[in-house]
Order: sequence, then structure tokens, then C-alpha cells
Amino acid sequence: MTALIDNKGSNELLAADASGQRVIHAPTAMPLRQSQRKSRWPARFDLLQSASGLFLALFLMAHMFFVSTILISNEAFYTVARFFEGAYFLGKPYPILVSAVVIVIMVIFIAHSWLAMRKFPAGYRQYRAFIDHKNHLRHNDTSLWWLQIWTGFALFFMATIHLYDMLTQPALIGPYESADRVWTGSMWPLYLLLLFAAELHASIGLYRLAIKWGWFTATTPNRSRRRLRWAKHSLSAFFITLGLVTLAVYVDLGRNHAAHAGERYVSPQHSTAPVRH
Amino acid sequence: MEIIHSDVLVIGGGLAGLRAALAARKRGQKVIILSLVPPKRSHSAAAQGGMQASLGHTAKGAGDNEDVHFADTVRGSDWAADQEVARMFVHTAPKAVRELAAWGVPWNRVQAGPHEVIIDSQRITLNEPEAAHGLITARDFGGTRKWRTCYVSDGTGHAMLYAVSDQTIAAGIPVHERMEAVSLIHDGTRCYGAIVRNLSNGKLLAYVARATCMATGGFGRIYRSTTNAVINEGIGAAIALETGVVPLANMEAVQFHPTAIFPAGILVTEGCRGDGGLLRDVDGHRFMPDYEPEKKELASRDVVARRMEAHIRSGKGARNRFGEHLWLDITLLGEAHINGKLREVKEICQHFLGIDPAKEWIPVRPAQHYSMGGIRTDAHGAARGLRGLFACGEAACWDLHGFNRLGGNSVAETVVAGMIVGEAIADFCASAEGDMHVSTALVRDCWEQENGRFSQLAASRGGESASQLLLRMQTIMSEQVGIVRNGEALAAAVDELKALLLRSRQIGLRTSAPGANPELTTAWRLQKMLKLALCVAYGALQRTESRGAHFREDHPQRDDAHWLKRTLAYWRDAEQRVPTLEYETLDIRRMELPPGWRGYGARDAIEHPETALRLAKIEQIRSELGDTDRHTMQQALMPFRHLLPPHLRGANARLEENA
Amino acid sequence: MIGILHRQRKKQEQRRLEIAILRHNPADPTSTPQLQSFHIEEAEGMTLFIALNEIRSTQDPSLQFDFVCRAGICGSCAMLIDGRPGLACRTLTRDLGPRITLAALPFFELIGDLSVNTGKWMRGTSERLQTWIHDHAKVDADALEARMEPELAEAIYELDRCIECGCCIAGCGTAQMREDFVGAVGLNKIARFRLDPRDQRNDEDFYELIGDDDGVFGCMALLGCHDVCPKQLPLQTQIAYLRRKMALIGLT
Repeated sequence: MTALIDNKGSNELLAADASGQRVIHAPTAMPLRQSQRKSRWPARFDLLQSASGLFLALFLMAHMFFVSTILISNEAFYTVARFFEGAYFLGKPYPILVSAVVIVIMVIFIAHSWLAMRKFPAGYRQYRAFIDHKNHLRHNDTSLWWLQIWTGFALFFMATIHLYDMLTQPALIGPYESADRVWTGSMWPLYLLLLFAAELHASIGLYRLAIKWGWFTATTPNRSRRRLRWAKHSLSAFFITLGLVTLAVYVDLGRNHAAHAGERYVSPQHSTAPVRH
Repeated sequence: MEIIHSDVLVIGGGLAGLRAALAARKRGQKVIILSLVPPKRSHSAAAQGGMQASLGHTAKGAGDNEDVHFADTVRGSDWAADQEVARMFVHTAPKAVRELAAWGVPWNRVQAGPHEVIIDSQRITLNEPEAAHGLITARDFGGTRKWRTCYVSDGTGHAMLYAVSDQTIAAGIPVHERMEAVSLIHDGTRCYGAIVRNLSNGKLLAYVARATCMATGGFGRIYRSTTNAVINEGIGAAIALETGVVPLANMEAVQFHPTAIFPAGILVTEGCRGDGGLLRDVDGHRFMPDYEPEKKELASRDVVARRMEAHIRSGKGARNRFGEHLWLDITLLGEAHINGKLREVKEICQHFLGIDPAKEWIPVRPAQHYSMGGIRTDAHGAARGLRGLFACGEAACWDLHGFNRLGGNSVAETVVAGMIVGEAIADFCASAEGDMHVSTALVRDCWEQENGRFSQLAASRGGESASQLLLRMQTIMSEQVGIVRNGEALAAAVDELKALLLRSRQIGLRTSAPGANPELTTAWRLQKMLKLALCVAYGALQRTESRGAHFREDHPQRDDAHWLKRTLAYWRDAEQRVPTLEYETLDIRRMELPPGWRGYGARDAIEHPETALRLAKIEQIRSELGDTDRHTMQQALMPFRHLLPPHLRGANARLEENA
Repeated sequence: MIGILHRQRKKQEQRRLEIAILRHNPADPTSTPQLQSFHIEEAEGMTLFIALNEIRSTQDPSLQFDFVCRAGICGSCAMLIDGRPGLACRTLTRDLGPRITLAALPFFELIGDLSVNTGKWMRGTSERLQTWIHDHAKVDADALEARMEPELAEAIYELDRCIECGCCIAGCGTAQMREDFVGAVGLNKIARFRLDPRDQRNDEDFYELIGDDDGVFGCMALLGCHDVCPKQLPLQTQIAYLRRKMALIGLT
């Protein structure tokens, strides 16, 4: 490693002149000792923030696809739910597996929140400074970050509720069970808000990741930006639409099932628990 | 009164000042730099096209060396340059380029193999030698016989300034920004530093130093139409003049750049023409070949600017609502070339004219560009008249440029002079002469005198407005002391400038805001600028010949018999209204290149009787030495190496020489 | 649409501009920041440089602002023009509405009115990031220079074009909140020296300079810098590139 020179010691450069004449002897540059080496944690935290965000965004998309299988049929959703309980590998469903996944997600979720919060305005002065800046700059990417903060903040509460629900009642995932939760359990307003917050946060986050790390670059930075922005809008639009339609189906299902709320869905194909073939 | 001590006080944070400071610092001197603005904002950054140095790496530069560069420079100067200085300069310029390369300047490089260029509006394929691949390349500039101008796209000055400025930061040299030297501390024989005004808060300070170096740039702002930055008001030169003992030399030698965009006066580089751009008139006709069949658009700047003005006067100017102009056509260079090598030009055209120079012609007209004159120094940069005072760069009349400077020679001069003068300053400080016995009473007197002047001016409630007087002065200079001059207009200009100088003592200020008061600053500077304007106008009036950039309609010939001499302007008495002019004769007997025809422009000089004698002498020396190498021959004709610091005396490597 | 509007404006008679300037003189204890409006007649080809000088010479000689080159080269005159950072000297009034608000760049030390001390901050940044070629070999200026590929020289110049105007800092959300952030100007300089083979420093050395949340990891990729840069430097890609390289060091 080239010895770094502290600023006052930078006179060492004076030795490297074109003159063959007297040069002043600069203080010897001290090689940085190993203990003075700058911490690697900021880099790791930055990587972890991005990695956890990427994971959560991909999870969210997959989750959305799984949940939306209700659009195909009750049976399809039922099958997906049982699949994640390991029914097709272990012979019978183990809802505890869902709880385990939820715990993993929660850990990543909390880690991501903590890592991301380090970038939030610290205190009112910084908060004001950013708001003023955002307002006079009128700059799309800067304003998007503001949205990111607020959706993130909202997610911290709303997603936690949802995760807690899933953690404690992992068995109650099924066409009727979920529909009852949405309608009879009055969770639909939360899910509606959660849908917007999560999908916006995820698509902006993915867009930001690509910019931050320089993925999917085109010939010019501005061209890659335009492309990424298009992708971001498309992702938001697609998943919010999918989410809204799915939620509507659950609401509908929940309303129709309200009279029998609490009754569980029984698969017409498997009157008993599915067995592995 | 706060006093700040150092060994060396460098006034001016442009390329010349920074490089001189660096040289002195490397020799162990404590250096402080004063700058009107952050150094990286200095006007050096505006040098676009490049820096001349005879590396000779390119196909069109092959065979170039110091001798060719020397001859081009002396011809360009119309034989008014100090030839020893010119020799020192051309010898050191390659070293300067190479040093800058090591400091990180991203000089454009030679790409081996064929490439297309535009020469004389023809598309020509040049084949660059394999051996030169990756070495520093060069472009064509006016008044040169080889492609010699090393460049970094068209941001050469910017790249150089940043590299040198970063070196001064690395060297830990403090720069006191937003500081303006307002007078020199001196006792009539020795300079001890300067009284300095802090432009942020208006306070006066005393900087006491063993050596003081003026590197304050030119005075283009005494003209209305100028390519110069707004800080180029010549105050450094003016305070040297006001000492009464330091002369300003050749102040009438003012260069006009042919291609300033019209009417804003912003420079577009000579590189436009060097790379193949053409000048066209109202009919779209390329007129320069009519006047200059050989060099065409690439004659020296004084010649091109004069031909352009003459062409406009003959009724061939294009016209817009601001007045008459001509066209610079670089559309033939193609978009790729403009985007790569002329980016700043493109940006300037887009932002200030709203045009794309790859598609449209650029409206241009000559504007004041460079001050060949300045504080008269010897070959080591020591100012005449005051020990301990030095000057370098555009502020100085080191006299590399004589009466016309070649494009690419000034940005080169800044660093070369900085290298040489900085060493001389260090030598001075290391010698017994550098010892200083300054009385605090003298410092206090100087401080109190300046403080009194500012207080008086701040309290003044006379009827004159500084901004109006300034505008009038600038108008007189542009209209009557411009490219084409005559005795009548010059005499009228001198008279009115004299009247303005009197009126400037009756300025009334409208504001008295605490801290930096821009109105007070303007009013104070105006009086200095008027003295400079008088040096220019009066010098031009007295010089009854035409030489380089100084062209007199009523005396159109170069008159070596009477005027092969340098004007020295003194302002010995604060009450005098025009400068006292003295003249310093250039000695033909010591010239390596006696006066002759420049190879472009008029060919009607009145010869000096010594010229023929010197030519005969040179012929004799040549035949005596016979077949010897060019260095020995040069040494016999006019020795100069002894004037350089020892480490700058070595021979320069080229591909065919010493490599 | 924009073309139509533009043409209509050109046809219009000369406009009378209202220029509202955020005034404040920190040297004057009685001064408080406030908007002051000036009215001037618009002229053809008028830039904010021309307009401000006209205001100073005809209306208020105490108005403070900084111009040097007035050609968009030196970076002195950056200010908030209708809220966005830009170079005043090359901003044409015809591209703005009839009411123009001007304010000093935020973040930097205010000298007065529109004048800020960018120079001091930039010098500090240069010292902090050691923005010079680190090469311990002695320069032999008599010898042929070291060779460099032409494309590499051009790539270095591309990043060397920064004029330290401060627009990127004023456009940066992070910098508004964290005053020790190096900003795009600092990161771009590291990218420039990293690219330069004449600089002997390696990525571990650069990590010491920018490997923290005041350096490259503080950047949240809001791209205000990239979008306001008057020199159109490729800040977006350069910072991403540095982030990748510095993150790799983080894994060592």
C-alpha cells in the first residue's frame, strides 16, 4: 500500500520536483498503522442495506404472486398455502414453517429498517433542511426519496402488524381464513395502505439500487436513468394493480363468507390433509 | 493594524503566481499567496486552445525544436521581444509541459496511424508515427510553422490551473483568498510587501515579505469589449506604477483576439481556426486568403484581427441588431471533433448564442484579449526600480511577446516564467540582498496612508458616478485606442482620459454598507485603471509607427530605425496627469534574429542601419563555425543558458534527439 | 408545445423583469435575510450577469455577487436561480419567467447576498481528499514524458472538467443534512485520480479517504448533483463505480 500522507506531511511531494537544487526535507510520511485503518463497517452496512432491501423487494414480489393465486381459484391459493407449510414434502402441513419464514423476514426487515434509518434526517434541523431543499429544488429523484422515507416509516408499523399476525397465526392462511381476516377481521384498510406503501417503497428501492450500484447501464447515464425509471413505474403499476384486484377478490370472498366467518376452507380434492405421492 | 510576515508574498493566484510560489516553496521559503478569487477561478482557467512547446511528436510537428519556436515567437512579436528571454522561454517550455504531465494534466496524446484533419478547408489524411504513440500531441495555431500547441481538448488552461493549484495545496502553501493588494510597502529603493484589503470585510492588512511577486494578470477590463474576466483590471500593475519608481513597459501593445463571440466578447479559441475553422463575411465568402495568401486564417493574431476590422470597414461585415461582425465557420470540422476537442466552444455557443456550432456559423468580432505590456522586469523577473519586487505572467513585461504574442505562448509563459522567476526569488531570499531591514514606522505609514484614502473615498459625496466614468473610459479605449489607431483619435482619447482622471477624484458614493462595499471597491479601482488607460493611450499616441498589435493608420510602417525600443511609462508624481515616457533601445547587435519580414502581414518596414551589420556578423559566425550542431551555433550567436537556473539548462529530449 | 410558447415569447415586446434577490449582509449585525425585488427592462441576449451588474450600477451599489470569467468556465457565479443551482453568468433571462428569484447557494459560508465562500470549502475538500497526483518518483522534465493511451487521457479530462462551482453540493440532499459529506465534487475527484495511472494510490488508500458515511456510502443516489452539474459530468456512473470498488474493499 502506498503510504498515505497526512495533510501537513504532504510536503513530501516537494522532494519530487524537477529541480536538482536544495529541497526542503518534509516530515517523513507516517505509514498508516493497521490499527488506524479505517473501519470496513460502513462498506458492509451499505452492502447489507442494499442486499436486505433487494431481498425484501424480491420477497414482496414473490409474496404478491403467491397471494394473487386467489385470482385463479380458491384451490390454487389453498395449494400454495399448504405448499409453504411443507405439506408436499413432509406429508402433512407444518404451519410452524411459516412462522420460521416470518421470523427470518422479520429479522431482515428490522435489519433493513435499522440500516436505512441511519440515512434518515437526524433531528428537526436536518429534517427542515431536507424539506426546504426538496421544495426549492423540485427534483424528481430527491422527492422520491422523501416518499421512500415516509413509506418506509409507515411500513415499519404496518408491516410489523402483518408480520406479527402471520407469526402468531401461521395456520390461518387459506382462501376463507385470509378472506375472513380481510373482511370480518377488518384488516382491509391496513392491507390497502400496506399495498401502496410496500409496492412504492420496493419499486423505488429497486430503482435506487440499480442507480446506486450502476446496474443495467445504457450508453449514457441519462439513457439508463430513463430506462430504469420506466421499469420502476411499470413495476409499481403492475404490482399495485395486481394487489388491488387481489384485495378486491378477498374482500368479496370475505363478505360472502362473513356469515360463516371462522370456518376453514376444506379442499374438495383433499378432504383430509394431502399426502405425498 | 495586523501584520502578516512571510519570506515571499505572491500577489495573484493564477498559473504564474502559483507556479512561482511553488518554486520558491520548494527551495524552503515561507510563501503566502494572495488572490482576488479562489485560485482555481483565476482567468488562467479560460485559456482554451493550448500551450506551445516544441515537442515535435506529431506528423505536422516533425522537425520542430527550440530554434523554430524561437523564430516564430520573435517574428510574432514583430521583433520587439527580448530575444534572450524568448530563448529562455522556448528552451523551458517543453520541460514545463512534461512537468505538468507528471502532475496530472491530461494532455491529449498522439494516436499512431492515419487520421483525418482539415487543413485549408481540405480534408487530409495524416499518418502519425508509431514511435510517437501515446506521447503528447499538438494542434496548429496562428503564426507558427509547426503544429506545436499542446492541448487538453479546449480546456487546457483549466486542466493546467487545477494541476498546479493542487500542487500548491499539496505543498501546503496558504492562499489568502478575496484579498486585494492596494499598495506596495517600499522606501523608494526596496519593496517590503504590500498593504492588502480583505474584500470580504473591507479591512486593511499589512503583509511584510522579503520578496514580493506580482502575478496579477492583465488589464483587459479597461476596454469595453474584452475577452478578459471581470477581475482583470490591472490593479497589480497600477500599484507598481504608483510607486513612482517602477516603470510599466510597452503598455500600448494590446492584443485583440480575432474570434470573440459578438457582442458578449467571450473568447472562442484560436484552436477553432487551428483545427481548420474558417472566417467568412456577409456573403459567406472566405476572405482571409485574399489578404494573407500564405497563412490565411492562421497568420498572427494582430494581422488577422486587423484584416477582419478592415474587411468590416470595407462594407463586408454581417450585421445583427448589436452591430457588425464576421462569421467563424467550424461546421466543416464535424460534430465528433467539436464534441471532443472543442467542447467549451460548443457550450459557449449553446449558452450564450443559442446555436450549435456544428450546424451554424458563430458571429465573431475581434475584442481586447491580452496585455503584452506590464511591469518591466529583467530576465529573472526582477522588477526595474525596486529591489525585492518581482513580476511574472501577463502582469509583467518580461518581454517574451514584444508587440504581439502568439496564441499558446501566454499560458506557456505563465508556467515557464513561474519556474524561472520563482527560482530567482528563492535565490534572492537566500542571498544577502534578501535580508530585510524594515521599520515598523514605514509599514504603519503605508497602512495609514491607504487607510486614509479609503476613508476619504468612502465618505466622499461628490457628484460623479464611478460606474459611469468606468463605462466612459472603457468606451474611449475600445473606440479610440483599439485595433486601428490614429494620432487624432489618440490625442482626443488622452485628453478625455485626463479629464476623467480629474473627475474620478469627485466620485460620490451612494452607500456605506459595512463589510465589503462593492461600490467603494469600484470607485477605488477606477482611479488606478484610468492611469493604466492613460499609459496605453499616451504610449500609443507617442509611438509613431506600426508594430505588431499597435497599428497606426497615419504611420502604417514598422519603423526599426526610430522605434525599435521599449516604452517605459513612469508615474513619478501622484499629481501628474499623463505618464512620463522613457525608452529603452533594443540592441540589434545582440540579436540572434535581426529584424526582417514576419512571413505574413505588411512588408514595408523601415530598416535600422544596424540590421545589415548584424546580419553580416551572423553570416560570418555561421561560416566560421561551419558544420556544427544547432546548439553550438545558437550558443555562438546569442548565449542564454547562463540566465536559466542550473536545473533548467539541460537539453530537451525528442524522438529524434536525446531520447 | 414548448416550441410554440418560446416563439410567442420572442414575438412579445420587451419584458420588464422582476428580480427578487434574497439579501443578507452577515457583516452587518442589523441585517436579516429578506427578499428584495428589483425591476429592470429585459434586453436581447441578457444574462443574469448583465442583469445583476445593471442592478448594481443603476439601483443598488451594495449588492454583492461573484462573477469572474462570465463565460461559464470558472465556476464563481453559482447561485439558486428560481430555486435550482446554476451558473448565473450563462443563464439567459429569456429562458426564465418575468419574475426571477435569486438566492445564494445553501450549504456554503455566506459572504453577503449572492456571494458565498465556495473557495474555502473546496480547498478544504482538496486537502481532505488529497486531490493531487501521488507519485514519489522524481520528475525528469528533460526526458520524454511517460506515454498514455489517447482514450485514457480523454477519459481523465472528462472527469477533470469539474469547475468546483458547488452546484452539486447545493443540489445534494445528503449534503443539506450532513455538512461533512464530501459530495459529488469530492467523489468525482477521487474517481479522476483513481483513473489516472500516474497516481500511485490504490483502492485501499482511497477507502481511507472516502470509505465511510461522509464519503461514498453517504451518497443516497438522489442524483441532484448529476442533474444540476453545469458541466454535465457523469457523476451518476462515477459514484456508482466508486461505490462498487469501495464496497469490495469493505469485504477485505
